[in-house]
Amino acid sequence: MYAIDHHDYGTPPSDSQVRVTVEIDGTPLEVPEGTSVMRAAALAGTSIPKLCATDSLKAFGSCRLCLVEIEGRRGYPASCTTLVADGMKIRTQSDKLAQLRRGVVELYVSEHPLDCAGCPADGHCELQDMAKLHGVTENVFAKDGRCSERITHESKARVQALMTDNSNPYFSFDPALCIACSRCVRACDETQGTLALTISGRGLASQVSASAAELFIDSECVSCGACVEACPTAALSEKSIAALARPAEKSVTTTCAYCGVGCSLKAEVIDGQVSRMVPNRDGHANNGHACVKGRFAYGYATHPDRIKAPMIRAKITDPWREVSWDEAIQHSANEFRRIQAKYGRDAVGGITSSRCTNEEVYLVQKLIRAAFGNNNVDTCARVCHSPTGFGLKQTLGESAGTQTFMSVMKSDVAIVMGANPTDGHPVFASHLKRALRAGAQLIVIDPREIALVRTPHIEAAYHLQLRPGTNVAIISALAHVIVTEGLVKEEYVSQRCEKEAFDKWRSWVADPRHSPEATEEVTGVPAATVRGAARLYAAAKNGSIYYGLGVTEHSQGSTTVLGIANLAMATGNLGREGVGVNPLRGQNNVQGSCDMGSFPHEFPGYRHVSDDSTRHLFEGAWGVELSDEPGLRIPNMFEAALDGSFKGMYIQGEDLAQSDPNTLHVVAALSALECVVVQDIFMCETAKFAHVLLPGSSFLEKDGTFTNAERRISPVRKVMEPIAGLADWEITQRLSNALGYPMNYQHPSEIMDEIARLTPTFHGVTYEKLEQQGSIQWPCNAEAPEGTPTMHIGSFVRGKGKFFVTEYVATPERVNGRFPLLLTTGRVLSQYNVGAQTRRTQNNVWHSEDTVEIHPHDAEVRGIAHGDWIGIVSRAGETVLRADVTDRVQPGVIYTTFHFPESGANVITTDNSDWATNCPEYKVTAVQVVKVSKPLDWQLRFRENRESRLPSRREVARETL
Amino acid sequence: MTSVEPTAESQAVAAAIARHGHEPGPLIVVLHAVQDALGYIPEQAVRQIADGLNLSRAEVFGVVTFYHYFRTHKPGARTVQICRAEACQARGCQSLERHAREKLGIDYHETTADGSTSLEMVFCMGNCATGPAVRIDGRLYSHVTPERFDALLAHQENAL
Amino acid sequence: MHAEMLVRMVNQIAEFYGTGSAPDIAANETLSHLKRMWAPRMCKQIVEIGSDDPGLSPISRVAVGLLAAAQAQKRVAG
Repeated sequence: MYAIDHHDYGTPPSDSQVRVTVEIDGTPLEVPEGTSVMRAAALAGTSIPKLCATDSLKAFGSCRLCLVEIEGRRGYPASCTTLVADGMKIRTQSDKLAQLRRGVVELYVSEHPLDCAGCPADGHCELQDMAKLHGVTENVFAKDGRCSERITHESKARVQALMTDNSNPYFSFDPALCIACSRCVRACDETQGTLALTISGRGLASQVSASAAELFIDSECVSCGACVEACPTAALSEKSIAALARPAEKSVTTTCAYCGVGCSLKAEVIDGQVSRMVPNRDGHANNGHACVKGRFAYGYATHPDRIKAPMIRAKITDPWREVSWDEAIQHSANEFRRIQAKYGRDAVGGITSSRCTNEEVYLVQKLIRAAFGNNNVDTCARVCHSPTGFGLKQTLGESAGTQTFMSVMKSDVAIVMGANPTDGHPVFASHLKRALRAGAQLIVIDPREIALVRTPHIEAAYHLQLRPGTNVAIISALAHVIVTEGLVKEEYVSQRCEKEAFDKWRSWVADPRHSPEATEEVTGVPAATVRGAARLYAAAKNGSIYYGLGVTEHSQGSTTVLGIANLAMATGNLGREGVGVNPLRGQNNVQGSCDMGSFPHEFPGYRHVSDDSTRHLFEGAWGVELSDEPGLRIPNMFEAALDGSFKGMYIQGEDLAQSDPNTLHVVAALSALECVVVQDIFMCETAKFAHVLLPGSSFLEKDGTFTNAERRISPVRKVMEPIAGLADWEITQRLSNALGYPMNYQHPSEIMDEIARLTPTFHGVTYEKLEQQGSIQWPCNAEAPEGTPTMHIGSFVRGKGKFFVTEYVATPERVNGRFPLLLTTGRVLSQYNVGAQTRRTQNNVWHSEDTVEIHPHDAEVRGIAHGDWIGIVSRAGETVLRADVTDRVQPGVIYTTFHFPESGANVITTDNSDWATNCPEYKVTAVQVVKVSKPLDWQLRFRENRESRLPSRREVARETL
Repeated sequence: MTSVEPTAESQAVAAAIARHGHEPGPLIVVLHAVQDALGYIPEQAVRQIADGLNLSRAEVFGVVTFYHYFRTHKPGARTVQICRAEACQARGCQSLERHAREKLGIDYHETTADGSTSLEMVFCMGNCATGPAVRIDGRLYSHVTPERFDALLAHQENAL
Repeated sequence: MHAEMLVRMVNQIAEFYGTGSAPDIAANETLSHLKRMWAPRMCKQIVEIGSDDPGLSPISRVAVGLLAAAQAQKRVAG
């Protein structure tokens, strides 16, 4: 069922600019050409009865309930599939129509008993509404002995099929309540793009089937919930409302706290608890769609592991002691001041969370700058997209993606490089799939065969399956083809880009050593494939590039970003819809965290700390003198901790001990600190090294904003009170006051007002405007009062685009006899990053341990079979995981995920990093793999002590064998 | 993904995909080819066909189950098809099919326990003036009453 | 901070700016990058390591020398 406050217009809107005039029951109305009669009527305030139509899906015309009379036309056309025409006169009510509709409802009711009391959809069921509307209260066909015998084929299977399928942890499917309207099938097709559902059989035996009559959990279903949202009855419904049997009291529109898509969701509330999360069909980033995480996996917010009270301890080997907020905060402030007095002003610093709101992040960096008095502030973007910030600022002038997600619908050729959107940005992947199925072409650049390379109805035109660490070589080879084959958009470049830099780049890249033939040896990609891909992208009317951490988390991450921008500029693919350079930002608010100046060298709005006018502006607003020298980045903080010059850290919502590379190094550094204050919602790995634990708040417990990968600022709205009593921004404010720097905000909107005052790209942002518009894409100021969907129209932010020479330098991480394989990392759909949230939900049923993908050839020579424990050793350390033998990876490359702390993925990653930003090179680690008999002792201990979890299906199966 | 030894069935499916997979809208053609080769569409063929044609399992399954002609279980040694279209209904096929189901002990789209006979329905074999019409292993019979039905089955068995 | 790590970082930066540019321009761009992106204590450390460190590349050497000069000037002015 869709959200309780959703007003359904029946069919999707038309985006035609041409208007036509029609008459609905005598009232004239002007609507866009291409609108259905049903939608036109809805716009006029008349709801035509319907069952198989809903405005997120194309019209289907199967239920025959929405019949109308149209003057001059014979019969009773379905209003959902009939489009308006100028001058059309429509009648939505008449005796004949009422009779026809009643007949249809009677037929439906004969298949679906009206036992409404106790049904989860009672009060919010479309069939119930139609029955009421047409005065149908019972099954008229059962009464007079008329035949209602179902013709069954394969009878035994049929009986089984009528049983409720409860296999999915979050929703159930009850075939007895299904009216075979096909909305679920169409949702899985049109909205999600997975096509996991079908109607099996025909006639009265029609039955919704997951894959080939499989249980939902075993089928191709990815549990996005689109079918549940589309279902008009309780046939598909959320288990969370099964027992509640009444619609929600209210619906609060907020923004998802998982990935950088930033889906708009409606939290429905019953008795003060979230009863379900429904995607907002008016959400600008997601258009009514979501994924398994945002849709269903919000239970972590009320998990028993939540920290409910502040705690302190003198040494990290002491047990924790629960204390009051005042004591914890005062103790933290005292410690920081003590350290600064003893070791100097620069001996303390902090990390902002890219999962907290913009307002909260702003306060932390303000505290560090104004209260600590230094620039030792950094954020997790350091370890993911800092090269994006650097590279795009240099070339285009702004540290952000250039488009909206929906821009992909106007793209003719899309390059996906170093990203796996079906797993990492699922809702964006659904948009992309829709574009591809409508005729756009795909080029994938990835060492691994990601799902997009070949998935139902979609096949990448080219898959450049390169060796990890050779991104720059491939980009240069593509550029070489474009330049030497005359594919540069000369007019665009001469108008919009710096001539000198372009000429230098052009002659550099034309050198034969950058050709696909010359680089084939290094990249492993056949020259013909590179040439084909380059020509396809360059010749496209609209070519777009989407990239992720497979680009940035490398020793040449920044260089690759520069190279990507070069390609886009050279082919004229910037400054309109359907093109662009699109970094797929990971976290829900990593873009925001960067925007808010969580960098040691930049204030909010990406202005350098040495820039006098900016610094004076902040000094004036904040009433203190501010440092003009760059501070420490996260890796520098660790180094400084180890050499004794850095002693205290305030860490907001960031699990460094799990997510940063070279775990042993991180752990040693944290252990060397005298005061670690961790503000988090769970006892994370980093908290094991903390002296103060301040309970944080989840996204359900506060007001604020998140900014997604589209630069889209969206509202976060409080649904319940903070479990430990304070929202994160309130904690930071108290800490600042305790440090002697006064902060006195009454509400996050005041913080945003200050941000807007001080940041040109945010000048026009207010909570009122957010309320009105729903979301705002920055820059939002006098030039663009409603925000900026597409950037660099007409000219680049820096004026003219600048080309950069991008010479390939092999990573220092070399394979050799001892470490002959390359390890690269990634994510799965069901778990999110280090898993702190998703491991505490039922998503574990899909992925309850990290495994290593290894090519059959590499497995065979080592005697490794599927499921064996294997030891993975690098120069930095070792760990043990189970083997998944597959040809999704190429020989010489292995792949794993890092959602479980006991996987120790970062025990083996090295300290190599991007030259410009120190973004760690997670994606390239030289390793050796060997078959072992069991995990390491520390891993076994970890598993025993871990928070409670559900066993995976594989574990259950193993146990029952 | 562990590699599995190809069976005769999977080889037949692979051959059908190889022969027809490149044609526009190849699914039904491939399904016919598989059923022609194996007599039915095995369960594992759904996955293999989906993969070969780059469709979802659901899509393939939906088509297989929509058409009565496609069988998902091994057919009996012989297939008996009873016409249920309007002309044959007018000529009494309902009592015929009741008799047939009772006599064989199975419903449409099922096979007798001894594997000898599968029962299917068809809609119009163009024999409208002389119904009820029945086809056994492709051979068409007219005026099929319950008695004639029993005789035809017995005769066929003797002939086998 | 580990000397070897700092030297490697400077070399990587110098390598990037050095491609296709005259050495003196590359050295200046390297210097500019260090001043904008590195924390003062790191700049101080690399200067302490010295522009004559054998691990430094030719461009790095020049850049570190320029950095040392800039720091000295700042001390005099400050």
